[in-house]
Amino acid sequence: MTDPFTNEPIRADHLPRLTDDAFVSVDPRYLRISLIGIASTATIVTILTVMIATQVDRKVPPLLIGGGVLLLLLLAAIMRVLEVRRLAYQLREHDLSLRSGVLTHRVESLPFSRVQHVNVHRGPLERSLGLATLQVSTAGPDISIPGLTEADAERIKLLVTERADVVDETAAADFAPLRPPPPPPLPPPPVSSVPLSTPG
Amino acid sequence: MIDLTAPQRQSPLAILFLGLRIFRSLGIAQLVIIVVFVARAPFNGSLALVPVVIILAFGGFSVLAWWRYTFQLVDGEVVVNKGVVRVARLNVPIERIQSIAIDQQLLHRLTGLVRVTIDTAGGREAEFSIDAIARPVAEELQRQAVTAAPTSAPIDGTQPTSESGEDRVIFTHNTRRLLVMALTMSPLTGVLVLGPLVAFGGDFRNRVPDTGLGNVTFRWWLIPIGAAVFVLFSVALNIVRVFLRDWRLTLRSSSTGLRRTSGLLSRTSTTSSVDRIQMVASAQNPLQRRAGLRSVQLATVGQGGFSLGGCDNAQFSTVASLAAVTPIHELTLDRRVHRAEVFLAVRNVTLLCVALAGAMFALVGWWSLLALIAIPFVWVTKRTVVANFRWGLHDELASSSKVISSATEQALLHKTNTVDVTQSIFERRRGLGRVKLTTAAGAIAIGMIPIADAQALRDTILHAVETDTRPWI
Repeated sequence: MTDPFTNEPIRADHLPRLTDDAFVSVDPRYLRISLIGIASTATIVTILTVMIATQVDRKVPPLLIGGGVLLLLLLAAIMRVLEVRRLAYQLREHDLSLRSGVLTHRVESLPFSRVQHVNVHRGPLERSLGLATLQVSTAGPDISIPGLTEADAERIKLLVTERADVVDETAAADFAPLRPPPPPPLPPPPVSSVPLSTPG
Repeated sequence: MIDLTAPQRQSPLAILFLGLRIFRSLGIAQLVIIVVFVARAPFNGSLALVPVVIILAFGGFSVLAWWRYTFQLVDGEVVVNKGVVRVARLNVPIERIQSIAIDQQLLHRLTGLVRVTIDTAGGREAEFSIDAIARPVAEELQRQAVTAAPTSAPIDGTQPTSESGEDRVIFTHNTRRLLVMALTMSPLTGVLVLGPLVAFGGDFRNRVPDTGLGNVTFRWWLIPIGAAVFVLFSVALNIVRVFLRDWRLTLRSSSTGLRRTSGLLSRTSTTSSVDRIQMVASAQNPLQRRAGLRSVQLATVGQGGFSLGGCDNAQFSTVASLAAVTPIHELTLDRRVHRAEVFLAVRNVTLLCVALAGAMFALVGWWSLLALIAIPFVWVTKRTVVANFRWGLHDELASSSKVISSATEQALLHKTNTVDVTQSIFERRRGLGRVKLTTAAGAIAIGMIPIADAQALRDTILHAVETDTRPWI
């Protein structure tokens, strides 16, 4: 029989803390993927802008417009560099946290016991650099950790899955006495039923 | 006892609903093309047969769809077989069902049948629905699904259960309560209906010259008369809406969960186990405050949330207890958010309004300065929000807010799915941060509290989730 549920007060300073120094940064090669994405966008947007500018209004020099767009995209690239540097995750015994954001700092935490499923995603660019993105889904919001090495992504996926299973089994054991009894076993098949034959 | 292990077929009336569904699934564009084709076609010779063939094809397809659609309970799963061209088999583990809603549209009521909608929270829409079956079959399905849910132990004194497993009526709203509900609702519905009529009234009036409306000129006393018409129209609409939707609104409780039934023409019954309730929220406008009523929302995973309008304080407390949260008036909500929230909102809206006024100056001149009126409005509103916002951390995270209407939100800590701490540049300079607790059916955000408190709150929530073994879904 399991112990009854209790909920005694706990002092906040006795709680385990999510410390900032235990976060692990993502692989630096992820920055290349991010910058390749921004460079592709920059090329397309600049070409389109210059093309439209030459057609619509010849008073504005196309080079000026192209330069302006490139400057904006350069700022986006700098922001991306800072974002990737800040992107980090932390695994603890019972939860997973992701640190992100440059202008707005953000730390998302997800207890393993709430995990519904885990995916490892590898795009073409990620595959070429041996990286992967781990997607952890709950019944509410999801957490995606990009820029993991394939081996790390698989290891973390296994860990999260195992932890989630352990928690599920613990909960199942705790609540087993409260569940209705299982239905009685089905009667054996009638003697006349023909067993399935195996080929060969 | 109804045996659901054998394949069950819907009532033949379902053919009608299936036909309508297929018709709707064609899409508006395709339907318009068909209507235009039929309307413009010269109805002579074989072309006259086209509409008949289309109707017969729909009818035949609907009959086949009805014949192919069966459902049964096998080894703890609801198994649905359906499809004419593409045959599909859907297996839904019964313990994964989040809610089962039974409702009756007008046609159902005439024939004594019901529609069952089953939701597993697997997506934004319900998993599937059974269009027309007998009520006993639907209720047996509902009973088995709710019984299969893992149910937490009753909480002494707060979660009354029925020993016999029979439903216990928590409350039923009578006609007088419904009338008060409707009269205390926001009288703005009419604006949505009458607003466009007023906006385009000039065009309409010019097209009807013989009514004499063209001679009406504007007088100042037309304003209060117009406002009174709007309000009366809104109240009438609210009464009709409440009576149609919430007629004989009844909440029942049993050892397996809660059941809400209501409706005049279409009667809807929604059932959910207590564990599936993720959040409890309430709202109260000034009229409801005077009448001592409030609307209560029980947010569950998926589509099966309960909306309980017109609850008095005692009923709200009972509902909260049934949902395993502490009645809000018993909680100490003494924590506030920082006043910098007012400054941030006013600063942002000021920047926006100045930019807007500058951009509009070339077009409308000094009139563009009217955009600045929004600044004192936002300042007063935000100041009131911040002054009245309270939150507290107990077994649940709870918050209450009040501007003109008041609202409360509660989420049990062990229902948390994720918890976020965020800090903008503005907040970092002042050592502040925000916490957002997200459940499977909504979120509570506490903005602008000291960052140390925000991190402690996050750690407390995580600790509660990771040590509390009660079922959360």
